[in-house]
Formats: sequence, C-alpha cells, structure tokens
Amino acid sequence: MQVLNWFFRSKDETVATRAKDRMRLMLIHDRLELPPDRLASLEEELIAVVSRYFEIDRLTTRFDLKQYERRAALIANFPLLRSKS
Amino acid sequence: MSGRVIVVTSGKGGVGKTTASANIGVALASLGASVGLVDMDIGLRNLDILMGLENRVVYNLVDVVEEKCKLRQALVKDKRLPNLSLLPAAQTRDKSAVNVEQMEKLCKELKELFDFVIVDSPAGIEGGFQNAVAGADEAIVITTPEMSAVRDADRVIGLLEARKEDIGQYRLVINRIRPAMVKSNDMMSVEDVLEILSVKLLGVVPEDDEIIISTNKGEPIAGTENARAGQAYRNIARRIRGEEVPFIDLDSLNTTWLSKIVKIFNPVRV
Repeated sequence: MQVLNWFFRSKDETVATRAKDRMRLMLIHDRLELPPDRLASLEEELIAVVSRYFEIDRLTTRFDLKQYERRAALIANFPLLRSKS
Repeated sequence: MSGRVIVVTSGKGGVGKTTASANIGVALASLGASVGLVDMDIGLRNLDILMGLENRVVYNLVDVVEEKCKLRQALVKDKRLPNLSLLPAAQTRDKSAVNVEQMEKLCKELKELFDFVIVDSPAGIEGGFQNAVAGADEAIVITTPEMSAVRDADRVIGLLEARKEDIGQYRLVINRIRPAMVKSNDMMSVEDVLEILSVKLLGVVPEDDEIIISTNKGEPIAGTENARAGQAYRNIARRIRGEEVPFIDLDSLNTTWLSKIVKIFNPVRV
C-alpha cells in the first residue's frame, strides 16, 4: 500500500507542502478573524454583480486569498466572455 | 546601568520556552554579560529546576512584589556563573498575584542590575502572558515546526505587533527541528515557517536528546561544548548581542555514515 501511495502521489505534494498550504490558509483566516462561510458568500455576491454586466466563464473563475508578508489580499479573477447589453 | 528586558514567549505550551530561557541566559552570561532570569510562570515554577537551583530558592517574585523581601534577597545566584541570577516564580500562588504595573516596576529595577533580563513567560495569551510582556523591550517567540505551535506563535506575534511602541523588536526561534524529517519533506522547514509567519529569525535549535539529559542534571545545555543544541543557543546569544552569526547548516547535522565521516574533517557549523 505504501508503495502504491508513493507511486500515485503527485510529484509536488509532500507532507511538508501540505502542512504549509493548510497552515497558510488557516492563518489568513485567523488573522482576519474570518468565519469559514464568509468568503463563499462574498464570492457568490461578487459573481452576481459582475454577471449583471458581463457573461463570465464560471469554470475558470478564481477566487483566492493570498498572503503578502503578514497581510492578506483578495485576488478575484473573472474571465469575461462578452458584455451584456 | 540600563539593560534590555527580553521576554521569551510562545503561546503554545511545551515548545521549549523555559529551556530556551535558561539556555539563552546561560549563553549570554558565558559571554560575560550580567543576566537576570525571571520566571513569570507563577504557580507552575520550573526555571529553577532547569538551572539546578531548586534547593536554593528562599524568596520569590511575588514576595518581592508584595515587599516581603528586597529584590536582591530573592535573586538566586547560579552555581557556575557568578554573573547569572534567577528570580524564581512563586509555586503556591497564581497568575493574579501580580499585575501589569507591578511587573513594569520590577522590570525597571532589574534593568538597573543586569545587562540582560530574560523573562520566561507562561503559556497562553491571557493574564500571565500580559504580565510577562508588560515590562519588556523586546521579545523572542519560540515555536516548533508543528502546525499547532506555528498557529499559536502567529497569534502571539499579532499581539506583540499591537504593542509596537513598547516592544521594539521580536524575533523567532525555531526549536526541535529534525533535519532528517525536513530533508524527506515530512516536516516544514525553517524557510517554510519563516515564510508563513513573515518574521525575523533569531535562531534554529535542532532536536537533541542531550537537552533531556541536561535538564535531568540541572545544567543547561548551552554550557556543554559539544552538544549541537548548546551551540545553537550560544549562537542565539551572540545574535542577541548584535553579532552576525551564520545560521545552522541543517544538512551537516544529518547523521548518515557519510556525514559522520565528513564531520570528522569538517566540524558542524551551527
């Protein structure tokens, strides 16, 4: 089983990188005192607003919190297909 | 004389705060500085044991604050280093026995006596922590590369940042790093932890069985020449004094047969 896990494991993901990724996300939420469902509801609202003006590609829409030093930034990426009249 | 008051803190318990306090104190004193170690973990006194001074404690910090004795009477001199003294915590009282104003006053008095006043903070971020940081000019945050310890360290860093006008600088010590586990990508590395916390590094202390032995002997490891954790603490002390000391080379600490041979010709740079 161990061998199979090793074989099928993605090349970049190790226990250490997983800990680091979990850690980073957790600390962004901690520092902002952000409840877990908050981001999802913001995403929903933003999509609704942008959708009033544009048709957007929902499949490639990205919504992330990134860490810069001890601050967080909200990075939203809405690929636009065409404007709505 | 006006010394520097440095609080050693972590948030999470059991990451090595008291061990670090004892060793930083011993290492600074070995460099010739006068050092006062203060145990602020009132009710859970331990620094005296690590220093091997438990039998010499007569008065304690709460006695000084309550003016039952003079500060000098409560200070316990180290067995080996005459320029190192301990102000023990009270064992039978609790954190509420001291308040912030009393602590600030005490730190001012201690600064007059010592070059460095090292304050060992209790775990947690409540009253005991607030008292411990009250009179501090600087802070050392201790963590291990484990997620729960890093999370708590982050919380403490946030609290220290909020006191920027009092606490001029805070730096991180990463304790109990296991080079072999970092190398096999099973443990977060020093770089990972620094990146996540965005904080300045003061030192890296490798996991070392000798720490347990030194605790049992009551002789902090910083006084032991060959122990790698001891060397790490001596480097930390030199950095506190403002020297530029290169950081521990973790690869050289791996004890494979090859690195053992390499070590014979090329002693560990910690």
